[in-house]
Amino acid sequence: MPDNRNLHRNIFFRDCAQVPAMPYSALDSAHPEDLWNWMDTQRKAGHELLAISHNANLSDGWMYPIDVDSFGRPIDAAWAASRDRNERLVEIKQIKGQSETHPLLSPNDEFANYEIGNYLLGLDPESGRVDRISGSYARQALKDGITMQDTRGYNPYKLGMAGGSDSHNTGSPYRQDNFYGGHAAADGTAQTRMSGALLGNTIDVRLLNPGGLTGVWAEENTRASIWDAMYRKETFGVSGPHIKVRFFGGWGYDGKVLTQANWIRAAYSGGVPMGADLPPVKGKAPTFAVWAVKDPTSGNLDRIQIIKGWTKHGQSFEKIYDVAWAGHRQADKWTGEVPPIESTVNLETATYTNTVGAVELKTVWTDPDFDPSLHAFYYARVLEIPTPRWTTIQAHQLGIAPPDVVPPTVQERAWSSPIWYVPAAAEARKVASQGLTVAALTQKGGTTLDDAQLKKLLVGKALWMRNSVTGELFKVSYTSDGQTVVWNVGRRATLPSATGNVAQDAYLGVTTPYTIEKGKVVTTLSQTPYADTFYKLGDTYYVARSNEFGYANYEVLPKGPAAVHPLEEGEARGKSQSEGKRAQK
Amino acid sequence: MSDLGRISREPLVHFLLLGVALFAVYGYVHRGRGGVESSRQIALTLDDLRQLDMYFQSQWQRPPTAGEFNSLIEDKIQEEVLYREGLAMGLDKDDTIVRRRMAQKVRFLAEDVAAAREPTTAELKAWYYSGKTSERFALPGRITFRHVYFSPDTRGPRAHDDAADALVKVAGEPEDSRAAPLQADRFMFQGYYADRSSEQLAKDFGPRFAQAILKVKPGSWQGPIESGYGWHLVYVESIIPGRIPAFEEAESDVKTAWLANQKAQAWHKAYQDMRARYTVLLPGPPDEKTVRASAPTPRKEVPTSSGEGPL
Repeated sequence: MPDNRNLHRNIFFRDCAQVPAMPYSALDSAHPEDLWNWMDTQRKAGHELLAISHNANLSDGWMYPIDVDSFGRPIDAAWAASRDRNERLVEIKQIKGQSETHPLLSPNDEFANYEIGNYLLGLDPESGRVDRISGSYARQALKDGITMQDTRGYNPYKLGMAGGSDSHNTGSPYRQDNFYGGHAAADGTAQTRMSGALLGNTIDVRLLNPGGLTGVWAEENTRASIWDAMYRKETFGVSGPHIKVRFFGGWGYDGKVLTQANWIRAAYSGGVPMGADLPPVKGKAPTFAVWAVKDPTSGNLDRIQIIKGWTKHGQSFEKIYDVAWAGHRQADKWTGEVPPIESTVNLETATYTNTVGAVELKTVWTDPDFDPSLHAFYYARVLEIPTPRWTTIQAHQLGIAPPDVVPPTVQERAWSSPIWYVPAAAEARKVASQGLTVAALTQKGGTTLDDAQLKKLLVGKALWMRNSVTGELFKVSYTSDGQTVVWNVGRRATLPSATGNVAQDAYLGVTTPYTIEKGKVVTTLSQTPYADTFYKLGDTYYVARSNEFGYANYEVLPKGPAAVHPLEEGEARGKSQSEGKRAQK
Repeated sequence: MSDLGRISREPLVHFLLLGVALFAVYGYVHRGRGGVESSRQIALTLDDLRQLDMYFQSQWQRPPTAGEFNSLIEDKIQEEVLYREGLAMGLDKDDTIVRRRMAQKVRFLAEDVAAAREPTTAELKAWYYSGKTSERFALPGRITFRHVYFSPDTRGPRAHDDAADALVKVAGEPEDSRAAPLQADRFMFQGYYADRSSEQLAKDFGPRFAQAILKVKPGSWQGPIESGYGWHLVYVESIIPGRIPAFEEAESDVKTAWLANQKAQAWHKAYQDMRARYTVLLPGPPDEKTVRASAPTPRKEVPTSSGEGPL
């Protein structure tokens, strides 16, 4: 845990009889790279093993770097291969929060605001440091991974899903209605917990939550078989309840596959299970068979979502599809989003009923936005109906108000391992030629702007720009005293990584500081700096963002559009809206 | 001189002289070990070096290079230097972790000494059948049944009534009745469960189902019984009641338990012996008046930061 950054890994050996005489510990090295080297050595000696990253959310941005490793050396293909060989799964949820994603990284994910842990462990309580968000979450790593694959030829982040307890007691609480803490006396009684006792003098224990679990689809209940399934990532994580989820990808599943008596056999023979790459293209778009069953001792299911990530020209994107849901809710006509399920939670008595939701959800889903030239991944997320959080239950037991530092209810969930789509070389070349790289721009005679030129161009001004990857137009204001804001981006826009919640900021008029230094315009997403480099070629300015892997994806427009959302013919004539087809989106 | 004679017969003086002599002998015997000079000397033996080498080989499956070996030695020296500096500064005093570790080591020693004996089979058997010991090895009851499922997903609140209606049609039908599944919905898992304990059933179907099915009379279709998934009609094939196994069936578990028991007893006895050597002084009961006047407001116990460790 160098500098309070949680870089711990859990190591699982395949065979109890094939283990080294001594474990490798943080006393031997605090660098994950050293651990992987040791693991390679063990593997050569016949001690087969794998690692699961632990508490990525508390790594201060160090769990999933994209540029330099923990020694400060540039990340390369060998580093990626070493990581991929050894580190197969991510602990997606545990007592100290989830590591799937964060609302700042996934502003369009309405379920991202869930069990956030944002503290540094063992930190001196008088220290002013704060855990960094960028680099601490798995979904961003999955997106960065396929982008690295596309732009650099290697993917260190092909992660499967696991869950863990991180309990420091002998037993571990997995249920909201039986949460007894995880750190001996420090959170051992309801009174201690509900008083907001400070764990390690820093962490309000009300922010903790029950532990997660790992689900494994293995051929048999033996250590070897379970380990093999973990290594091939045929795993899922749950937030605590024993929700079961299966997820298969292929090119030919039809709606009937799930109604067959032995549908699992059919699903295996028609495609690949979670954790694998899709077989070579055989059709217009991949199809996915997804199935989930509730825990018989927990809440019913609300919905299954498929989360898709893809990359183009150094940018990566995510989109969430509601694919199966309980009850007779109608998906929104335009967005496909399914409205929230009714909450049966009674906050006064801290109870809920299973009068809404489903026991089993299943469907076959075809990606409606598939582009065969782009790297992509897909994973399923299953949500339970809202149930009372442990803090609400224990507040009721103590006769006090539910705490206002955490939500009163939760939607327990399960995450399947992803299935990846890797375009064939010919497909990939089709798209590679189209983007504008910084190298190509420079070769054509493009020159970078220095600080003085940048100040002249930006300070006290507003610029219209186009994201040439998505076609999105937007305006950026740079105030004369160092504040910036992005305008005219809708809430459902397809946003590249690490742009923050621009729609909300624009609507609220909330600005972010910027500085101009060393020929770059630097803004921060929370604490992480992102730098824009401006290039001039002829009369046109182009912008390259520091996290877009060498592409100059933004073009400064000489003039903005007259209207942000020009209506198309059908819309303008007042026809029914469904007939008007938008050119974009 | 009579004074001197009297003093020379004084027991206190004898003790003092004896003390001085002991001190001198101790100083002589331990010369070069506890003195200032020797505390500046760190002697690594060939065995120490061999241990470093073995440790490295066990981690990396190869001998260390000369450079690596030198840094292993340097690390070892550093540990020793810091350890001695720490001792000299008295850092081992009043340190919770050091205290606990010492206490733990003493306990391990006491337990190990005691548990190092193999029991004979006769001894184990006698122990197993003594008192209530064998009850600890009781085997849970097992149930074998077939079921059909009525899903609230497709039937909503009608699921119970549909199941009850179906029961009328299949009552008196055999276990493998074709009629039963026809009336029902497809179940997500198995239709037939063999030899399940109630604990397993509670996990698979929910605790209420696990309790209810134990009360079903085997040999006919019965229900509806509610699970965490919906409603079921069940045909219980057999219920094997829980039982206490014969010693021969449980021998290896009995041995494990016997060893644990020996260990616990030995520890208990060893501790009692140690404890008996000490006198413990506790404060008397507080005077209520002074407590009220001077006791500070009770404060929440705040855990101290460990500053490390896998929080």
